[in-house]
Order: sequence, then structure tokens, then C-alpha cells
Amino acid sequence: MTALLRANLPVLVVIAPLFIAFILTPLARRIRLVETLAFLATVLGLGAAGHLATVVFARKGSPFIYQLGGWPPPWGIELVAGNLGVFFALAVTGVSVPVVLFARGNLTAEVGDTGRVTRFYVLYLLLVGALAGMAVTNDLFNVYVLVEVVTLSCCGLVSARRHPRAAEAAFTYLILATLGSAFVLGGIGLIYMLTGHLNMGFAGQELGRVWPDYPHTVLLAVSFVIIGFGVKAAVFPLHVWLPDAHATAPSPASAILSGLAVKGYLLCLLKFLYGVFGGELLRELAVHRILTLLGVAGIIAGSLLALTQEELKRRLAYSTVAQVGYLVLGGGLLNATGLTGALFFLASHAVIKATLFLAAGAIQAATGKSRIRELAGVGRKMPLTMAAFTIGSCGLIGLPLFSGFIGKWYLLVGSLEAGMILPVVAILAGSVLCAAYLLPVIRTAYFRPAPAVAWRDPGRPQKLALLLLATAVVVLGVRPGPFLELARKAAAELMAFV
Amino acid sequence: MNELWPRLLVNYPYLAAAILFVIGTFTVLTHPNLFKKLLGINIMESAIFLTFVASGNIRGGVAPIRATANAEAVYINPLPSALMLTGIVVSVSVTAFALALIVRLYRVYGTTDLRRIVVRRKEVTGDDGFAQG
Amino acid sequence: MRDFILKRAAALILPFIFVYGIYVILHGAVSPGGSFAGGIIVGLSFVAFATIYGIEKGKAKLPEQVLVWTESYGTLWYGLMGMVGLGRGVPFLANKLAGVDLGTPGTLASGGLIPLIGLGVGIRVASTIVTLFFTMMEEES
Repeated sequence: MTALLRANLPVLVVIAPLFIAFILTPLARRIRLVETLAFLATVLGLGAAGHLATVVFARKGSPFIYQLGGWPPPWGIELVAGNLGVFFALAVTGVSVPVVLFARGNLTAEVGDTGRVTRFYVLYLLLVGALAGMAVTNDLFNVYVLVEVVTLSCCGLVSARRHPRAAEAAFTYLILATLGSAFVLGGIGLIYMLTGHLNMGFAGQELGRVWPDYPHTVLLAVSFVIIGFGVKAAVFPLHVWLPDAHATAPSPASAILSGLAVKGYLLCLLKFLYGVFGGELLRELAVHRILTLLGVAGIIAGSLLALTQEELKRRLAYSTVAQVGYLVLGGGLLNATGLTGALFFLASHAVIKATLFLAAGAIQAATGKSRIRELAGVGRKMPLTMAAFTIGSCGLIGLPLFSGFIGKWYLLVGSLEAGMILPVVAILAGSVLCAAYLLPVIRTAYFRPAPAVAWRDPGRPQKLALLLLATAVVVLGVRPGPFLELARKAAAELMAFV
Repeated sequence: MNELWPRLLVNYPYLAAAILFVIGTFTVLTHPNLFKKLLGINIMESAIFLTFVASGNIRGGVAPIRATANAEAVYINPLPSALMLTGIVVSVSVTAFALALIVRLYRVYGTTDLRRIVVRRKEVTGDDGFAQG
Repeated sequence: MRDFILKRAAALILPFIFVYGIYVILHGAVSPGGSFAGGIIVGLSFVAFATIYGIEKGKAKLPEQVLVWTESYGTLWYGLMGMVGLGRGVPFLANKLAGVDLGTPGTLASGGLIPLIGLGVGIRVASTIVTLFFTMMEEES
């Protein structure tokens, strides 16, 4: 039995959450059973990802190749679980467990009756399964299918609340995300027309041989892919849907959307740019400079826009735009250190953003207030929640001993190695601005006197979830060793194509 | 330029797809009516499907069904058509979801014109959007 | 008068549309169409029935519980078909490798697991179309 599980691990990481999602709908009336099953599904996903990690480590660098249906490429879909796949699968499943724990018992107030809560869990599990699939897939069209599953589940999660702003934000998100999907599909079509392969490895090899003959088509394919994934990952000028969508979603949904969904698209963008197009083509078309500039612009613009927001969740949503700028900057540096920094930052930001959004959600659910200046005294009345928020903020700013510091450090070193000063200035300015828009929240919560009303404390699952995430932020900052090593190997895998 | 026209006419599916794609994108981004935005998305996706399916075509080939053709026939590539079936499914799902959201928005705001929704947002939902969940 | 003509015509035509949809689903491996297109046809026959005869009769024919069950279990059926090969050591979704008899191409019973998967997908797609229709009609009223 264990041999059977071990042989099929890459596909189990994807289908365990998916199948349990489909069992949930007929059980809608027994909501405790639904929540327990959802939690079990995410724990199973995490277990499968962890087991896959040990299996991949035991193979010492050669990736675990799995062919769906037994058909070898180019006829079949190939799943490749290398260091990069394991890294992202661990990040996805690891963050999904505390978030679903937070949602336990908490959703009825935000979402509605048990039927809607069940649908929330179904969409959540579909999202987790599809993100895990994005980590391991090696087929171009499979990427498109998973991108669509993630898009539709994200839009469903955003529209879960009954507030009219939620419907509007979900509609904007749906239209713009489908625009992005159409661009991605166009890019995939152009790559297929150029190379005749849908497998990323074969397409990359063929494209490396063929691209000087078709410069315009390749340029079109690259731009389609960047714009398509850029719209969905909220890269700077294309980020306009993100603040509304992530601020109006229920808090567990905002946590997983900001933390993991946009990162999944960025990971797919990196796989496309490095694995299919290759470093030589990127340098020839100056794509890496474009990515770095977009990243710099995103950091500055996102942080400045976050400063102007009065509402806590919108401020955190604009902060996500800034952090995506860091990731795009790291992806555009084209050296191993920068890419290590980007990947580690990806995982650490997922944990940090989940902490921040869940804490903000707990505060909003307990006090009913969402404006920052109304949050006076929260630190005294809800100490655990505010402590988790503070730890997350320190991680986001990039203070040493917290996980954000390591990612930013590697990004800085990578920028210096690439010989560019502008990213260095942008990263430092971004940290200062991040402090500028997060510290007032902490100051208002701790140092202003609290009003005399009694606030409902968050329940025990919520506190446990916040504790887990905050501990992860600190642990990743103090002892990043194994995870950083995994990020380094994953970056080396991507750099092999440059 | 005079060698461009014959090339464009030979590749007429791709030319049509490019024109449809631009029309669709332009409609999505600029038209204020929500239904028209959705139609723009559909036109855009139709253009992409057309590109894909046309890329699989071989002039003078037959449909790739084994039982009905003789042994010497050149079959057209069935893979892009199969892939676009998935794309059409996705497009239908997105359309259905967007229509449900439009119905929901219509019931709150009473209009499907985005300009009027932006104006009425303040009076219907409160000044910034929301204070509590 | 208009309603009378519609109802009589629908009573004659809709069963044939339904059977045609099932035909398209089952012959997915042999002729163009397949599970998705056939499922849409089956679903649309129910939607046409509900439009012409009224939502109440449509809901009486396909109660909500049946729709919920077919949606979930259609997809689980797909997964179970995929797991057929797992017991024999071949990867997920294996067809020929799992030892399934493929039959002669061009006949109905060919393709191994493909018509079975197509049946599950077709039923699921049909129930999805009907659910979407009922949901949108509910929102309006």
C-alpha cells in the first residue's frame, strides 16, 4: 500500500484535495463533518507533499517524473516533481492547513447558511489542489487548465460574501482574469505552433533551436505570456482588480488568495520564461530588464498606494501588490542568488500574508470595525491576535530574525551581483514604506486607549491557526536552513535553463 | 508591402482571429455595459480558439476519424481541436458565472451600466463600501 | 394558443433530443462530439422542458437532491475510473496499460475506459447546465 502511494505521489498531492472537495457537496447539512473533512483534506495534501519531499531528497537531484496514463511525452501529460515542485507544493499545502483551521466555525457570519459554507470549502479545496498541480505540472496545456481552475475558484471565493461590493469585485476580477487567461492561451497556442510540442521540456529545446527564424512570433508569444500571467498575478500596471477583490473576500479566502494564488501564477510565469523560453531568448529580447523595471515600479507604487488606504484589509491588499513587485524583480535578475531570494520570499510572504489577513479578519469579526483609526486598544483586548499581526508585520518589513529578512537579503545580493543599483534602492525604499504603512496600525492598536465595550474573543481554532502561522514566520526567520536549501536547489533547477 | 497582401490572404483564419481578438479586447476594456464586457470576453476567446484550430488544419486533409477514410488520406491534426474543447468548456463556465454575477449586481443597483453603478455605489452601500462583513 | 403549440411540439421533439444527447455521449470515441457536447445537449433538453412547461414541473422532474448527487458523483466517477489502474501499478488514468480491453476502433465498445469516463462527464455536465438554469431562474423571481 505504501509502495502504491509512493509511486503515485505527484498526482496524489493534486487529487486528494480535489476528490474530497467533490464529496463535500451532498453533505451540506452536516457542517461539522464538512469542516472536518476539509481540514483532513488539507492535512492529507500536506502529508503527501512532505512525503514527496523526502522521496525527491532521497533521489538527490533527479526529479520524480510521473506520466499520466502511462503515456510518455510528447503524447502524454508529464508531472515533474523536482526541487521547485516540492518547494511550491510544500508552501501551498503548508499554508492551506492553518487557513482552513481558521475558517472552522467562523464562516457562517461572513458567508451565510450551511449551503454557502459548503460551497466555500469546495472552492477552497479545488484551489489548493489546482495550486499543487501548478507546482508539479510539465505540460503547457495542463498549466492552462489549472490556471482556469484557480481563476474560477478564486472568483467564487471572492463572491462568497453577500455584500454588493463583493459581487462587483468578483465581476471585475473574473473579467480581467479571463482576459489574462485568453492571453495565456494565445501564448500557449503560439508556442505550440512554433514548436509542435506541448511538453515544456521538449518545447524549450525546440524553441531554443527555432526562435531565430521566427522573431516576431516569439516576441508575440513572450508578450502574451507576460501580460496574461501579469494580469492574474497583479504585476504593477495590471493590478487594478486586486485591492477590491482581496479586501471584500472572506478572511480565509483573502489569506489564501493573497498568499498563494498570485504566487502560483508567478511560479507558472517563471516556469514559462525560464523553462520554455530560456535565458538566451530572454536576454535577447531584454525581458529581464522589463521584469526588473516592472518589479521596481510595483514595489514603489504598491507601497505608496497602501499608505493612502484607510481600511486595514485594503491596505494589506495593496501591500500584496508591492510584494509581488519584489518577486517579479527577483525573477528578472537572472542569477541564482536573486532567484533563491525570490523563491524564499514567495514562501515566506505566503505565510506572512496569511498571518496578517487572518489576524485582520479576526479583528474585524470581533470588533466589527475595519478602519485603522477605529482599532484603538485592540492590542489590550485581543493580545494573541495583535501579537500575531505584529510578528507578521515585522516579517513583512524585513526585520532580522523574521522570515522576510532572508528573502530581501538574497534579493539585495542578487541585484548587486547583476550590477543594478535601482533594485537595491527600491528594495530598501520598499521596506521603509512597508514600515510606514504597517506601524501606525500597531501603534493604534497598542498605544491608544480602548473603548469600554466588550469584544468577542476569537475561538480556539482561530487562535491555534494564528499561533501556527506566527510561529512559522519566526522559525523561518531564525532557522531557515532546510527551507533555504530547498529554495536554493529550486533556483538552481530554474537557472539550468539560463 | 506588396508581398504582405498575398501572405495575409493565404493566412486568412489568423487574420480574422487577430481582428476578432482586438475587437474583443477593446470591447472588454472600454465598453461600460457589463453584458458587453462579457461578450467582449467571448469574442476574444473565440479568436483564440480560431487561431488554435486553424493551426491544426492541413489544406486537403480529411477529418481524423479512422473508420471513415481510406488508408492514404492525410489526417488533419486533431490535437488543437481537442484542446479547444476544454477551452470552450472554460469559456462557457466563465460566461455562466459572470451572468450570475451580473444578475446579482442588477438586483442591487438596478442598472447594468458601469458608469451608473460607480455613481450609485455610494448611495447604495455606504461611503467607502463596507464597515462590517 | 401559443403555449398549446409549444407544449405539443416539445412533447414530440424533446425525447428525441434527449436520446440524441445520450447518443453523442456514448459515441464519443467514434464520432465528433463526446462527453461535453452530449452532456450539454441532454442538459439543454431538460432546460427546454423547464422553460416550456414551467419551472415547477422542471423541478419536479429533476429535484435538487438528484442534481447535487449527480454533480458530485459524476466527478468522483471520473476519479474512480482513473484509479482503476492504480491497483496494478500503472499510473493514474491509465487505459491500455491497466489491461482494459480496447476493442476494435470504430465500434461502440472501443476505447477502453473512455466511454465510461465520458458517461460520467456527460451526466455531470447535464446536471450542471440544469443547475445553472434553475439558479438563474430562482434569482430572477
